[in-house]
Amino acid sequence: MSVPLGHYLMLSAFLFAIGLCGALSRKNAIIVLMGIEIMFNAGILNFIAFWHYKYFASPTAQMFAIFAIAIAAAESAIGLALVIAVYRHYRSVDLDEMKSLRS
Amino acid sequence: MEIAFWIFSAITVLGAIFAITLRNLFHCLLSLIISLLGIAGFYLLLFADFFAMIQAFVYVGAIAVLMIFAIMLTHHVMGDEGPREVLGGKWWAGMGTAAIVAGLLWAIIRKDQLAQVLPAQGAGVPYTKFVETIGRALVMDWIVPFEAMAVLLTAALIGAIVIALEEVIRKR
Repeated sequence: MSVPLGHYLMLSAFLFAIGLCGALSRKNAIIVLMGIEIMFNAGILNFIAFWHYKYFASPTAQMFAIFAIAIAAAESAIGLALVIAVYRHYRSVDLDEMKSLRS
Repeated sequence: MEIAFWIFSAITVLGAIFAITLRNLFHCLLSLIISLLGIAGFYLLLFADFFAMIQAFVYVGAIAVLMIFAIMLTHHVMGDEGPREVLGGKWWAGMGTAAIVAGLLWAIIRKDQLAQVLPAQGAGVPYTKFVETIGRALVMDWIVPFEAMAVLLTAALIGAIVIALEEVIRKR
């Protein structure tokens, strides 16, 4: 028998929490971006799981997933460019050292 | 089917956990790649083979390579184990938030009747129709978001180059 939808939802909730934990608690900016990617993937997995279990005939959920993947790619490119720019300025990607707005 | 689900979920979850807990950045990135490939496996299980290919191309092919470049440009080497202290200043707040979010999501999903009883669909549809359906929808009903996405990607490309080249422009 195939697994019920709830398993996929649980799994992507768990992945989302892992990504959130990494994005909020790590110090390195690149790992924070990795955590954000994990959260994106958990969301996209939800789209595909709901498409498979409930709206199989219509391609709408797949369109949402395609656009989410494209936006994730754009976000990743911009984020890594920002990391490189910040590294030029501070000579470090340590998020705790970027406090020039904090006086 | 069910065994494959558990194997893929073990790969994905362990890869994600290692990706955010390991000390060496390259090891983190490799774990992230394994985790993303596990998600591609889920797409195969869910009959979304087109998305498994997209996942492999976009995430593993493009984003992981971008991250390798970012790591190599901002860290001196592969050999070093990284700093002693990997957690940020208020790490307990971040972990607490993540635990609360996980608990809330878990409680919501557990209560949901829909998630428990809904059977899997997709037995009767011929397998080759999926990509054709996506392609038709993308250039007919969804053409405006599609073009907007093209503009967004172009803007992101130019913006990333401008942000990363800041120093060179200033020198001129």
